Amino acid sequence: MSTSQAVFAGWMEIPNSAVNQDARSQTEQTAAEEATLVALVSQYAGTLYRVAFSVLRNPADAEDAVQEAFLRVLRHRDTLDEVRDRRVWLIRIVWNIVLDRKRRAKTRPETDDVTELARVLPHSGLSAEEIASAAQHHAHVLACVDQLPAKERQVLMLSAFEELSSVEIATVLDISESSVRSRLFRARNLMAGLLKHERQ
Amino acid sequence: MKPSEENTMINLAARRADRDTGRETGEDTLRLIAQLPAPEGIEDRVRAELRAAPRRARVLSWPAALRSDSPWMRSAAAAAIVFVVAGGGWGVYARVQQPQLARVIVMPPRVAAPGSFSSAAAIRTPNTLNGPVVANPVTVKPVTVKPVTETTPAQVVQKPVKRVQPGTAAAQPVAAAAK
Repeated sequence: MSTSQAVFAGWMEIPNSAVNQDARSQTEQTAAEEATLVALVSQYAGTLYRVAFSVLRNPADAEDAVQEAFLRVLRHRDTLDEVRDRRVWLIRIVWNIVLDRKRRAKTRPETDDVTELARVLPHSGLSAEEIASAAQHHAHVLACVDQLPAKERQVLMLSAFEELSSVEIATVLDISESSVRSRLFRARNLMAGLLKHERQ
Repeated sequence: MKPSEENTMINLAARRADRDTGRETGEDTLRLIAQLPAPEGIEDRVRAELRAAPRRARVLSWPAALRSDSPWMRSAAAAAIVFVVAGGGWGVYARVQQPQLARVIVMPPRVAAPGSFSSAAAIRTPNTLNGPVVANPVTVKPVTVKPVTETTPAQVVQKPVKRVQPGTAAAQPVAAAAK
């Protein structure tokens, strides 16, 4: 082996032990990331489904949105460690997905149908008449919610989740907490006006 | 009333007020929807979806057959890279033609003829092309050849010769001059 060849080979040489160690640590890291992801699915799939359903009002679409959200998490699993509040982070991801889907698909939500609402919503201890009347009321309320401006509607919908505080809503929507409060106030006033107008 | 009981009463009142507001503003409906249980087995379906998802693509991963640890393979790969880079560079260099130098016409220095003015502070005038010299156009007058005709004596106009008589006034000046 000539001198230059020896220098060249030495320059190119990567010690086998280093390669194996890197591969092993990478495998361990991947396994740890997958375990974290599985834990996230078990913990938050239900919450994400409810968030998705509240916007899309269609069980199949909501489940698709949840799956897409976790696929996005899988793509960015390297950054999982940097996330402070994973619950809010996941809700924010699914929220963006469902808003995007709703914007693209202008289809009528399944639950706008009164009979579908009567089937979906809980009605323990109610007579058939009461169930029908409640379903009609809920359908009417949802129609009014759809009439609200987008900003107010979003805050109102997220505020319905008792598991989300106003700070968390602000994080999901990327606005300040005071904006959340003022928008919620406006949304409630608008809704009260709409419902009163409809009653008259 | 104990403080704990008082708190409970306040909370109940707040909840009642909230419920009333909810009825008025339709939030009870949204809350009902928000509390709907997730369908059974959603976690399993999501996990199955994640398992079926394609793994992260590796950047520049070698095929397993070529992933040998022999230094010769690495040397050959490095040599190939060097060859490609050098060849590409040479190809670019060879194709790029150097721009031709601008033609500069060197003017001969003006040498003042002996006895003439010097060329100091002379303003250089551009060497313009001499235009084509066109000679003055020769206008050829059409020659009209008159036919030569014999003049007849009858046509010749002859002035009548005055005959001066010696005693007339016409002859007086001559006489005066003679005096």
